[in-house]
Amino acid sequence: MSVQINTPGSKPKAPATPIETSHNDAAKTFTHIHPILVLSLYAYKFPSIVADPVNALMESLVWLGILQIAYVAVCLPPTGSANVVAEKRKPGERKRAVAGKLERELGGKIIPAFLSLTLSVLPAIPILFATLVLFGAPITTHYFETLLCAAHISLLAILPLVYVHGVDGERWREIVALLLPVDSVFGGMVGAFVGAWLGAVPIPLDW
Amino acid sequence: MDDGEPLPSYEGIAAQFAAAKAAKETEEASGLRARVKDPKVEAKKGEVHFKALHGIVVAFLTLILILHVLGIYLFMSGFLLTRLVLESKSECAVPPIDISSSYTTPGSYDTGCWHPKTFDKAIVIIVDALRYDFTVPFTPVGEEKAHHFHNAIPVLYETAQKHPNKAFLRPFIADPPTTTLQRLKGLTTGTLPTFLDAGSNFAGTAIDEDNLVAQLRNASKKIVQLGDDTWHALFPGYFEPNLTHAYDSFNVWDLHTVDNGVTEHIFPLLHPTNTSKWDVIFGHYLGVDHAGHRYGPDHPAMAAKLNQMDDVFRKMIDQLDDSTLLVVMGDHGMDAKGDHGGESDDEIQAALWMYSKQGLFGRTSPAYITPPANAKERPVAQIDLVPTLSLLLGMPIPFNNLGAPIEEAFIGAKGVNFENLAVVNRLTASQIHRYQESYAQAQSSNTKDHAHSLSLWASANDAWKPVQAAKKANSDQWKSAFAAYAAYQTETLRVCRALWASFDVPRMLNGVLILTMTLVVLAVYARGLDGDHAELAPPLLMRGALGIVLGGLLGFGSTFAVPALPWDHTTTFGSAIGGVLGVASAYWYIRRRIQSLLPTTVWGWTSVLFTVALSGGFAANSFTIWEDEILLHFLTTFGVLLTVSSLRQKNAADGALGCYHSVLFILLARLASFSRLCREEQMPYCKSTYYASATSSTSAPWQLLIPVAVAFLLPHLIRTYYDNTLSYQGSAVTWLGFALRFGLLLSAAYWTLDAADDGDWYPDYTSIIKTTKQYLAILTLAMAVAFGYPTFNWAKAHLVIQTTAVGSEQASSQIVEESGSSSITVLGFANVHGSRYALLITIWTLLVSLVEKPMGAGAISLATFQIFSLLEIIDTNKLSDTPVGPVVLGLLGSFHFFKTGHQATLSSIQWEAAFIPLRTIRYPWSPLLVILNFLGAQVLCAVAVPATALWKQHPKKKGLLGHVAKAVATHILFYAVINLATTMWAGHLRRHLMLYRIFSPRFMLGAMALVVVDVVAIFIALGGTRVSFLSVAEVFGWS
Repeated sequence: MSVQINTPGSKPKAPATPIETSHNDAAKTFTHIHPILVLSLYAYKFPSIVADPVNALMESLVWLGILQIAYVAVCLPPTGSANVVAEKRKPGERKRAVAGKLERELGGKIIPAFLSLTLSVLPAIPILFATLVLFGAPITTHYFETLLCAAHISLLAILPLVYVHGVDGERWREIVALLLPVDSVFGGMVGAFVGAWLGAVPIPLDW
Repeated sequence: MDDGEPLPSYEGIAAQFAAAKAAKETEEASGLRARVKDPKVEAKKGEVHFKALHGIVVAFLTLILILHVLGIYLFMSGFLLTRLVLESKSECAVPPIDISSSYTTPGSYDTGCWHPKTFDKAIVIIVDALRYDFTVPFTPVGEEKAHHFHNAIPVLYETAQKHPNKAFLRPFIADPPTTTLQRLKGLTTGTLPTFLDAGSNFAGTAIDEDNLVAQLRNASKKIVQLGDDTWHALFPGYFEPNLTHAYDSFNVWDLHTVDNGVTEHIFPLLHPTNTSKWDVIFGHYLGVDHAGHRYGPDHPAMAAKLNQMDDVFRKMIDQLDDSTLLVVMGDHGMDAKGDHGGESDDEIQAALWMYSKQGLFGRTSPAYITPPANAKERPVAQIDLVPTLSLLLGMPIPFNNLGAPIEEAFIGAKGVNFENLAVVNRLTASQIHRYQESYAQAQSSNTKDHAHSLSLWASANDAWKPVQAAKKANSDQWKSAFAAYAAYQTETLRVCRALWASFDVPRMLNGVLILTMTLVVLAVYARGLDGDHAELAPPLLMRGALGIVLGGLLGFGSTFAVPALPWDHTTTFGSAIGGVLGVASAYWYIRRRIQSLLPTTVWGWTSVLFTVALSGGFAANSFTIWEDEILLHFLTTFGVLLTVSSLRQKNAADGALGCYHSVLFILLARLASFSRLCREEQMPYCKSTYYASATSSTSAPWQLLIPVAVAFLLPHLIRTYYDNTLSYQGSAVTWLGFALRFGLLLSAAYWTLDAADDGDWYPDYTSIIKTTKQYLAILTLAMAVAFGYPTFNWAKAHLVIQTTAVGSEQASSQIVEESGSSSITVLGFANVHGSRYALLITIWTLLVSLVEKPMGAGAISLATFQIFSLLEIIDTNKLSDTPVGPVVLGLLGSFHFFKTGHQATLSSIQWEAAFIPLRTIRYPWSPLLVILNFLGAQVLCAVAVPATALWKQHPKKKGLLGHVAKAVATHILFYAVINLATTMWAGHLRRHLMLYRIFSPRFMLGAMALVVVDVVAIFIALGGTRVSFLSVAEVFGWS
């Protein structure tokens, strides 16, 4: 699976390179805190998800959305800037740049993050919903549950990918074909899907 | 090869041959030697070589089949329960214990052997499958409305309630398996069934054990039997020949012949002028059971049938004389669809009703006058009938009986005669005790298991002493004696139930060992050989066959040395181990060609992982119950992986095509998944769609459109797969374009007429419809067998040769030679082998479609569609050498098994498939039709396996036969893994509560599927390969 094939076609395209998390302290810290936050969100919500799936998932969806937006905005380079090498600053320069940078980041990162949210959620949910049904989710009942499951997967797996890779068709073909190098975003997607697959295993159990 | 070690002779020959061939080719190339000597001679040589090699491959895989059968046989003979059959008989003059002093004339049939008799004569009527809830008034729970089977036979309940002294009605619990033959054994011997007999339902065998019917005959009673002929298989020659009328029991489509026959002959016998001609009548009505099998319980036909029974019993009550006992009972119940065989509540809950005009039945409590509202309250076991009837008729209790007397029959009209109750319970318990003693002697069994029941026996005798000593014992003393003996009976029955689930563990272990070793041998052949699988088969076959013979002789010989060993065990084990060792030694001989069994590719790992995951799941009852959904999940996963793989293809056209077919494959699987037949354990999370409703076994009218749609669409869809490579030529046109479609239409017409017959749409034309549908079925079979097979056998390769000007637009892959201004184009060249062989798949599609119900025909056509998509996927992703094709086909076959209305349960076998082209049972056709219906999906997918290795391969590709052998072996390997897993789990979980409900049926399905797939893959699929190769070689010669 690790064989890389360069994309065919007339226009030579830059081969995908691993996405690196932003080089600042906040990003470095948050990239580690984020998974803990997401996991604790589910751990905290688990009893109510079991008791009343639709409402609990609806609620956790909001929190997950906030967490994911925060994650991509803080830690990841938005699409188009992925290959821009972070400017090297001298150690002394860092502190002075902070105030201006935050403002720039608000415009430069939060907006793409919200954009990714819309772009990932709108087309991805129906596709993921269909996929879940194809894997055997009931089609006549429980569609809210399935829909919410699709929404959660799309926030977890698709949103960061849209944020860093945009909506380029060829890039998305590579993503589906699993041709991208493994980085935290792509790995996160693979993990989300493998996890969802494994999560289906205990469904038949009656205890 | 150059490590200095001397080459084994076989390797040497191969090497020499290769060297000589290379030299020859070099010489030919440099013009030193004439190219070919004589093309005809060469062709003949090639053909002979191919035929020999093909024969050897078939023979080697047959060897594997034999090993599978031996392993399964050995395991089964130890696993299916065995109980020692004691030949001892109870005798009238030899009571099991001293007779109580109040009875003065024991030992005489005239007054009663061990106890004073109550009745001279009896009429015992079995209404097959009379479930308890049919007989009691329906009380709605919540929104539930009365079904057709409710309130349709009220006579039993009415009489029991209005005249409690004349009649009583109680739930009557069967010991599984709930098949009629097993039930009759239980109802006459009073002992527990063993599982081994369940399989012999098609041909019952005489009962050797002591039983009620034999006791009656011993007492020179005149016994009459009417109805179901199973009785004659069990009690040959026991019945009055002039008065007895038996009817065929397996024609489940016929609701009335048996019932009308019984009614017609039974009433004359009740006439006072005829009552001296008989002592006991056994009548056996089958209509209710057949209505259940055919329509399900919730159908007007069932209500009509039950009403008819109601009338019969009212009439019988009128005509009954005072000295005759009338017993009506069901031998088992039926599940929600009207089938039976297993041990679900609905299947085991029958009804028992006794009636006599003497008015001597009583109740121990006034609250018991109203019959139980459901079968959970106050049930009696079916074996309890044996001591009850024996004592009432003054017969000795059969030697093996484990049942207890039913209290209503002995407590007296006032309900206070505990003395009588205690006496009969003491007699029964003593007989049980005598039986237990002889059983322990015959089989030096562990007394520890019996310790508790023996102490109960002692305390029961203690309780008896005071009542014996006292001149006039009081009611409480009798009561406690009764309770003590009853407790002994209950405990003994419990111990026996547990003990007779005793398994022959050495046999089971040896069976598992054989299956495991065969699995390894097969795995090495399928995935561990480097080189041509066909060329390597001869030494494997030689040594394997030699091993089987020598091992068998050694095993058989060992019984002379150690006579204690059972010969069948040693011979089976010896020959199987000999065969495995023989093949293993051949592997050692060609060890240079053996490679690691560990997969080297992602696809190898995926195939192994999914097969193992599925097999592992069978250890849990939940995963076994939900196998159908798990298979859908796995197939979809494979589809997604294949989509991903298609997107990675360098060739954009291949990628797009692969993607399209992968997505199509997934969508078709999900579409097929809408056809479901739920097993009881899946409730309430599953909704059956296979039949018109969850409680019927007939198709809904709209479902009749499915076969019609299939007939119009499927041939066209298959054609598109031929059109791609311009292979839609010659016989493909005749078969796909005309014959297949016509055959499918005939099959659709059959199922429409069948529905018309079932639903009685045209009551005036019933006989015409019956005859016509039979002929339609025969015609469809003829279409496939008498037209399809010859077409396949004698068809030329699907090719057309065209000469066209260069530059014209033709698929470049079709061009074989270009010179100057024109090029020779062979249309269909790109898929000669595949298109030729795939005709066979479609022939089997037609065969299987006919024997499946309309919904199943839809599933089978989706399966065919999926098979062709899979072939395209395998080609575009270049996976023909990986295990993906054979393994996905295995998953696909197992998946569609569920989609054709089956489950891994005995009751889901659609026995009626035997009557599609036939009116009566005919061997071997009837069992074959049932198997084709049951495992139709697996059969179809097994036939398709060679196509995965042949689709779009170059006609002169070297070692193609070896690739086919490899694919077939891999497919068999898939089923062998499943079989081994289910076998091991069933053996390991043999004390599990769910053994008979879940693990044992799944094991039987696994074993049956393996053997059937073995036979189909080896003889039908590889046989088809031979035909197909010969015809391709006619055009392209032998490489």
